[in-house]
Amino acid sequence: MSCHSSVTHLHVSPVGQAERVPVHLLPCEIEHNGPAQVSQYFTATMKDHKGVKAVSFRGRGLKGQEICCPAGYTGLVLKDTNKPGSDQEDRIVRVSSVFDKLTYWNLDNPPTSDDTVVMAMDWPELAEAIHEPIDE
Amino acid sequence: MDLGPFEADNTVSCRLSSQIPDICRTEDCCLGIDEAGRGPVLGPMVYGICFCPVSKKQELKDLKVADSKTLTEEERERLFHNLDEAKSYVGWALHVLSPNTISTSMLQRTKYNLNALSHDTAIGLIQYALDSGVQLKEIYVDTVGPAEKYEEKLSQRFPGIEVTVRPKADSLFPVVSAASICAKVARDRVVKGWKFAEDLGDVDADYGSGYPNDPKTKAWLLKYLDPVFGYPQFVRFSWSTAQTLLDSKAVTVHWDDDEEDGEKAAKRLNNKSMLSFFSASAGSDDQSRQTHRFFTDRRLRGLSSL
Amino acid sequence: MTTKKKRTPNTERSGWVVIAPDSVTDKNKHGSDPVFLRLRNPSTDGASLYLLGSGDEWLYEVKAFEEEFHSWFVGEAVQRDGRLVFVTPMDPLFLILPYLMKSGREGKFQPVDQVVKDEDFPACSRLLSCSCSFLHIAEEKEVGGLKFHRYSQERTMNWLKKKVERTAAALKTKNVSVGEGVKSTTYIRIKSESEGREEDYLRYAHGLISEYISEALSKALLKHLGLPELTSPKEAEPPAKKRKLSDKPVEAGEDYTKFNSADFARKPPKKMTAAQKTLAKVDKSGMKSMSSFFSPKSK
Repeated sequence: MSCHSSVTHLHVSPVGQAERVPVHLLPCEIEHNGPAQVSQYFTATMKDHKGVKAVSFRGRGLKGQEICCPAGYTGLVLKDTNKPGSDQEDRIVRVSSVFDKLTYWNLDNPPTSDDTVVMAMDWPELAEAIHEPIDE
Repeated sequence: MDLGPFEADNTVSCRLSSQIPDICRTEDCCLGIDEAGRGPVLGPMVYGICFCPVSKKQELKDLKVADSKTLTEEERERLFHNLDEAKSYVGWALHVLSPNTISTSMLQRTKYNLNALSHDTAIGLIQYALDSGVQLKEIYVDTVGPAEKYEEKLSQRFPGIEVTVRPKADSLFPVVSAASICAKVARDRVVKGWKFAEDLGDVDADYGSGYPNDPKTKAWLLKYLDPVFGYPQFVRFSWSTAQTLLDSKAVTVHWDDDEEDGEKAAKRLNNKSMLSFFSASAGSDDQSRQTHRFFTDRRLRGLSSL
Repeated sequence: MTTKKKRTPNTERSGWVVIAPDSVTDKNKHGSDPVFLRLRNPSTDGASLYLLGSGDEWLYEVKAFEEEFHSWFVGEAVQRDGRLVFVTPMDPLFLILPYLMKSGREGKFQPVDQVVKDEDFPACSRLLSCSCSFLHIAEEKEVGGLKFHRYSQERTMNWLKKKVERTAAALKTKNVSVGEGVKSTTYIRIKSESEGREEDYLRYAHGLISEYISEALSKALLKHLGLPELTSPKEAEPPAKKRKLSDKPVEAGEDYTKFNSADFARKPPKKMTAAQKTLAKVDKSGMKSMSSFFSPKSK
């Protein structure tokens, strides 16, 4: 049984040209994949008070902050390029856009360093401590 | 009435006020409270206070202020002008609750209902008058919720001041009518000149009265429904009119505090745990090893597929 | 909110928000694209997703930050899947180690390409192109220009110990809170406060390294580090009723550290009700369709 044999190719060639986009992590699940008037409704109404951002979405107050990708890391937005029903065995995803910081939003609560996504950003640095080769 | 401070940022609430007449700092005063725009699904709700020396009650009455609801917009503007003329002894202050404040307060995790919001706003305005040195002795309020309870709440909050909470106070006490006129004039002006914080280009201003049963308002709500964002902040999302339209015509959005009946919530939670159960154990016989808390604390987990 | 709409399953996953080291996307000399592939997870023995980049020179691990009720705005679009995928460097020796250990039981020196083979994971042989030194985990013999290796427990323990120590140092630098995960009732602290703290860091680091090795090796490593074994985490688990069963927001200040494994939200109930069993069936099929992404088309 070799059900684990297929791979997904990551097309990185367009990273240089990839568009830099703002990314926002929202505290709700939106049952939608596709276009939205983010800059007209969301970005246009965002406020920033000493680094704490505020906005509302669907009548609910959100508070958020911007966090940077760890040093040496880049944010990539990957998109599936395979057409549905295509008979290609290996899947190909491409880098459709890039980012170096993201804004995450809490419902009502002001952002703190204890927010899980902020803590999750610890991972790359620790991963390097765990995985960097040991000198011989 | 300078609406500038509110118009500069209509996403939050704002207090607007007249000069405090000197005489109000030295003589015993009466104060009336009323609101405008409680019902509409569009625009702000405005709370108003108006105050004058008890000795000037008759003069205020002679200005022919009456319940704003029985007046046309032009009449209200004229009466507001009269009040402004009487600024040597009449003062006012307004608290404009932006529709965004109303939505986000009513929809926050710990729901803040409209009555509580109204009461707190009224209390805030009375406190503002006291802090400004107005010698308050009598307060007249149109009722919000049960009159007795509200009267008791205000009397306790402001000992030494005689509080009268009455249904239709705006037609019984000129000082309440005056407050009502100030509030209504402000709401009308704000709604008419609403500047959309959203980047929507030219927005059709023909939104009618803003009351849910007004066909113009209904048509406007249908026209300006965005499938993802719902509405601009001009709309009170917490109104059932808006909710119903969003439920049927916009993309569904789920929040972690959505109300579900117990059964559904339990199912969903089981769902989640069962899902992670299967993903964690995919291909593994070893159930005893737990993911280190470094990862679980950070909601990080390994993936077996993209 | 008045909304009581049921959530529909998110089946169309076609976009991913990822944080990856620049080395993944750097124009590499080999000109070949990185690939996501599934390899045998050395800790669970099951399939996990990894990434090979720079012409199979570098290995990366793939983890996801995932909380319920999250979605992304990416530019002028919504992505329903609110996961944040982390691609981080991974030491390939962790994946090679189980194969060497298995063949090491025979006690023979063997060519690694004959050892690192797995019919369930044929791609595992690609690990041999990765940049790493087998000398950390094996003894080497060279005969006629060919290299042969044999698993060495001693070398492996020393190698893992260095990893634990380096990880503990990083935890300290990063100020990661390592305090009191599990407390044995029989374990009495007689060391000074600072020594105790040192030990907390080491123990925590050991726990992290254990995510990449078998349970047996993890126990041996603990011994090698001179750390006493604590009682099973299971006994220290909070009572079932303390697990989050409502969908109320998690209050700030709730102390997660008291749960050794914050599994409280993930672990399935021990006994399933009939309804839960039904759900389990439904979900299983759901998982199948998701993992079918990687399975070959039916022939």
